[in-house]
Amino acid sequence: MSTLEVKDLHVSIDGKNILKGVNLKMKTGEIHAIMGPNGTGKSTLSEAIMGHPAYKVTQGEVLLNGENILELPVDERARAGLFLAMQYPAEIPGVTNAEFIRGAINARLPEDKPLSVRDFLKRLDKTMNVLDMTEEMADRYLNEGFSGGEKKRNEILQLMMIKPKFAILDEIDSGLDIDALKVVSRGVNQMRGPEFGSLIITHYQRLLNYIVPDVVHVMMGGRIVKQGGPELAKRLEDEGYAGLRDELGLDIKLVDEEA
Amino acid sequence: MTVDLKKYPTIAAYAEKTAEPAWFTELRTKSLEKAVSLALPSFEKIRYQRWPIQLKQPLGEKNSQKNLIEKIDVEQTDNMVVQLGQETLELKISDEMREKGVIVCDWQTALQEHSDLVQKYFMQKAVKTDEDLLTAQHVAYLTSGLFIYVPKNVVLKKALTSYFVQDATVENDYVHHVILVVGENSEFSYLENLKTVGEQATTANIIVEVIAQENSHIKFASVDRLGAKTTAYLNRRGYLEKNAKIDWSMGMMNDGNIVGDFDSDLVGDGSHSEVKIVAISTGRQIQGIDTRVTNIGKHTIGHILQHGVILSRSSLVFNGIGHIIKGAKGSDAQQESRVLMLSNKAKGDANPILLIDDNDVTAGHAASIGRVNQEQLYYLMSRGLPKKIAERLVIIGFLGPVLAAIPSKLIREQLKTTIERKLIDGQKDE
Repeated sequence: MSTLEVKDLHVSIDGKNILKGVNLKMKTGEIHAIMGPNGTGKSTLSEAIMGHPAYKVTQGEVLLNGENILELPVDERARAGLFLAMQYPAEIPGVTNAEFIRGAINARLPEDKPLSVRDFLKRLDKTMNVLDMTEEMADRYLNEGFSGGEKKRNEILQLMMIKPKFAILDEIDSGLDIDALKVVSRGVNQMRGPEFGSLIITHYQRLLNYIVPDVVHVMMGGRIVKQGGPELAKRLEDEGYAGLRDELGLDIKLVDEEA
Repeated sequence: MTVDLKKYPTIAAYAEKTAEPAWFTELRTKSLEKAVSLALPSFEKIRYQRWPIQLKQPLGEKNSQKNLIEKIDVEQTDNMVVQLGQETLELKISDEMREKGVIVCDWQTALQEHSDLVQKYFMQKAVKTDEDLLTAQHVAYLTSGLFIYVPKNVVLKKALTSYFVQDATVENDYVHHVILVVGENSEFSYLENLKTVGEQATTANIIVEVIAQENSHIKFASVDRLGAKTTAYLNRRGYLEKNAKIDWSMGMMNDGNIVGDFDSDLVGDGSHSEVKIVAISTGRQIQGIDTRVTNIGKHTIGHILQHGVILSRSSLVFNGIGHIIKGAKGSDAQQESRVLMLSNKAKGDANPILLIDDNDVTAGHAASIGRVNQEQLYYLMSRGLPKKIAERLVIIGFLGPVLAAIPSKLIREQLKTTIERKLIDGQKDE
């Protein structure tokens, strides 16, 4: 079992404070969801945990199995067991999807014991099947010219091939139709198990019908303001974020709220 | 003989020893006399004039230690030539090639056995002996090379591969000449590998002339990896007759300072030159690449695509020159030069130069100098790839459009391997 703990995390970008003390603790075997209105810092949290250089941590810690990882560069965090399925994955022309994924797997293995091409292709084939991806996707250049839905599937494909300890899924449901949503959820659900934990960031409850979380966190104004079970997500869907905010007596302006 | 050889005892001795034809020796002495009044060629933004690029050593036969070749990866193919310094270690061509009348021989053999053919083409059509100081010195001090002659109506599928290994274990100038003549309606593929053994400071002066006769098609590929202490002048020039085509694919993976002058003269109507170049500069080296296509005949096509990457404190200059001569109606000159910088201390330049003297033509250019996309790097690293590997992938991606446009898959793969190796070496200096 592994643990991921975020302690009093403060993060700013371009000098603007976005996260103002986030606390969160999870174990492998658990699925956590973070919900919250737009502009509340959900993506900032995921990028800060992963280590995007533009996000500056001004206070707090992120502990993986009790060790602070904030000093580690992004690739070391990844090899330590973190994975971020990104909202806007970069396109890399000239590097094929398969070549890249194999490279990522081999980066985690001893140099003299890489995964054989044959074993790799077998696994890749099987995993792509789960995600209803056509074979040619393996030979296409990484994300280049992929549709929104193809990019999301490709993120989940990488997740399933790399098998991290903890995966953060940043709005993996945005821009997906219902069929694609089911496929992506099938992939994540297949990963569920004692050695895997996931932090799912989403606006909408819909995704959580397919990937049922153990814990739901609600984030507003750069903090986690409430925790609960899956029922909390359903309640938010019915009442909206403004209702919860007023109940908690928070003085936060919601970005999308009409003046 | 019109020139008094007594004035040039070294040349006379060399000529006697190698038994080269009198016309050639005469050309040497004439060039040497002419050199006094000639200047170094000038290339936009490439300041190489102070480099030790001029040839100064007396003409002489030099032997190399044969076992040095063991340090070089030589891939065995049906048609191949291996030269080390001035000597030819291996030369074999298929029965098919021989039966079809193809001549492949080293420089001394060419002068002795095919003197008339050499005289007809040697610096007559593509490069001229008295063009500048470097071409004149080239003739005076030339000691090695290769002559390839493909008669007309010969179509060969299998390529000829050459390995020219400069011996820099001793301080010898390397002066090398290649002539490739491909006759009417013939098709020929050629792959040239330039390499260095040894680490002495040396000067290399290499001229490659490619004569594409009417309706011929030549695929010319090269992987150049001269050593860190070799200062080189490398001139490759195509002379294209009516409806001839040359596909050039060049990988400039040298480790030292080099001026590359790559030109195509589209003389015949309907001739076509496609020039693809990838270059990587590392350490403190300077690579200046001047690529010119001149449209002379009507309806000629000249395309230049060059992408380069610069690391550490190195420099890379790409000049792209598209010159359309008056009367070259219906011609097309296009070019694209792009440079990717991986370091703040590196220097890059991409200069598009279009000289157009006729109205009824199409021409275009694109040039850029940019940095590595940080989002791409972050994305790759977020999957656990170390920074240097991630950088290499982004670079391969950047060079991708040029690599993808290279006709031969084999050359593409070979170039990719050389690029990878050059990058790994170059990143050690970061």
